[in-house]
Amino acid sequence: MRPKTKKILFLFTTLIFMFFYIPIIILMAFSFNDSKVGTVWTGFTFDWYKSLFSNDQIISAVTNSLIIAVITTLIATVFGTLAALAIHRYNFPGKKAFNFLFYIPVVIPDIIVAVALLALYGWLDITLGISTVFPGHVAITISYVMLVVIARLAGLDASLEEAAKDLGANEWQTFWKVTFPLIFPGVLAGALLAFTISLDEFVISYFTTGPGSDTLPVLVYSMVRLGVSPEINALSTIMVLLIVIMVVITGRKMRVSK
Amino acid sequence: MTSENMVELKNITKKFGKDTAVNNLNLTVKAGEFLTLLGPSGCGKTTTLRMIAGFEKPTEGEVWINDQQVANVEPYKREVNTVFQSYSLFPHMNVFDNVAFGLKMKKTGKEEIAERVMNALKLVQLEGYIDRKPKQLSGGQQQRIAIARAIVNNPKVLLLDEPLGALDLKLRKQMQMELKHLQQSLGITFIYVTHDQEEALTMSDRIVVMNQGEIEQIGLPEEIYEKPTSKFVADFIGETNIFEGVVTNTQNEYADLNIDGVSIGIPKTISLVQDERVYMSIRPEKAKVSVTKDETAHLNGTLKEKIYVGSVTKIIVQLPNGREMVVNESGDSLRDVKAGNDVYVSWQPEETVVFKD
Repeated sequence: MRPKTKKILFLFTTLIFMFFYIPIIILMAFSFNDSKVGTVWTGFTFDWYKSLFSNDQIISAVTNSLIIAVITTLIATVFGTLAALAIHRYNFPGKKAFNFLFYIPVVIPDIIVAVALLALYGWLDITLGISTVFPGHVAITISYVMLVVIARLAGLDASLEEAAKDLGANEWQTFWKVTFPLIFPGVLAGALLAFTISLDEFVISYFTTGPGSDTLPVLVYSMVRLGVSPEINALSTIMVLLIVIMVVITGRKMRVSK
Repeated sequence: MTSENMVELKNITKKFGKDTAVNNLNLTVKAGEFLTLLGPSGCGKTTTLRMIAGFEKPTEGEVWINDQQVANVEPYKREVNTVFQSYSLFPHMNVFDNVAFGLKMKKTGKEEIAERVMNALKLVQLEGYIDRKPKQLSGGQQQRIAIARAIVNNPKVLLLDEPLGALDLKLRKQMQMELKHLQQSLGITFIYVTHDQEEALTMSDRIVVMNQGEIEQIGLPEEIYEKPTSKFVADFIGETNIFEGVVTNTQNEYADLNIDGVSIGIPKTISLVQDERVYMSIRPEKAKVSVTKDETAHLNGTLKEKIYVGSVTKIIVQLPNGREMVVNESGDSLRDVKAGNDVYVSWQPEETVVFKD
């Protein structure tokens, strides 16, 4: 590569990364700012973290979000993996249509899912609360899990499963001793994707949650309307760190199981 | 069925949709035998093997293993083990766990597992590799682990699906002999699938030549090579010269075959009828090329090319009817004969093989 080209590419890459990360870094920095107004740096403080942990509204929203994300991830991962296995392994009438139906939630705008669910709940006369958030979250995340696991299954040598059966393993043993360990990185990646999508999902949560069961993005939205509070900055900083730790751990796990 | 027969296939047919992979096949494999299914790709040999293993269920017919009808029995309940073409070692397990897999599934005791795994690894000379992952082994080593993983279970029958296909020539030759010796010392019935006729001739007690889902010929390696019963077998096994002709006289010791106007004596090993169209085959090493006319069966032509291939020199002779003939010469009697010279190709009539299709 010519030195000049190299320089330009380096500059270009740096700019892209700055575009990605500077807003996040500024947000994190201002969570330690001793001023109520977010734009001027006046001194270092942990006050916003302290007031964050004594804010019941925020703690309750975080709890709601985590409960929803964990349960959504469990349901979506189990059923998404099962659907992926069915589509990968069997030929059945309507397979293409079945497959297609799983892809639609990935491309359909969340607002449509949200409005449809809201209309359904209204028609069935269901009171909105934390439990009415799950169906929407599961519906959009299950497809992602399925797509990731299918990709992993496509790279799986079918003769490995035959070898297991040949050596005396029944269907159940073959799955747990051979198939699952080999697709585990895909399942884990799918679960992680489902977790993060659920955690920051806003539109569906906003429409389908009930009073007193706000999820974190919904709460942040209502708080930001009154101006960005440094508490939100502190909370965002914690969340960024948590996600980074999670991604690092998952990356390690995937490398080991390879 | 007697207990001498380890595997018996009765009227086996396998269809994939409209395609017939195996068509009404009957085959008996004796206990302790090394049997090879040989044929070009798509001839149904692998499908036949997979029906014995249980990975495919026959559309019609019966599969008997050790006196039990198993056509619809799951693979994990059959007393057979398979060595796969791609080795199919479990990538997430080390060598020990790969070899121990079958024994663990049978809930064998820990100490017995350790002992049998080590014995199996000793047999394939890889006992020092128990902690390695399959990826850290060479192709030849992976192949040996795959064999150890199968034989550690003491199967009644070992099925091998082109197990040496991915190895280089020298290693393949070495593994052929090792497999043959292993089979003899263990006394396990081997059913071996290959498209490599030389491999089949080297290793097998009996060879089954398959074509288009059917058996063309079953026989000892010598029979398959020396006495092919069809044009397909003669052509597929080794190199040969095949000519089509019309039977003109069946009265004498040898029948006369008219090949494009030239009369050649052929042995009456099959019933021949006057004016019938038949084929004759003569192997390159059974014929010789000379500049003087010989008493035996012969054709004349011109020398087209001499190709030195090491052990022999291949002589390509252009015949007047436009065909070419290949003869292997080991001496240097044709040193002074050049391309374009007139030569005679001659052979003993009894070296000819005659067949009808």
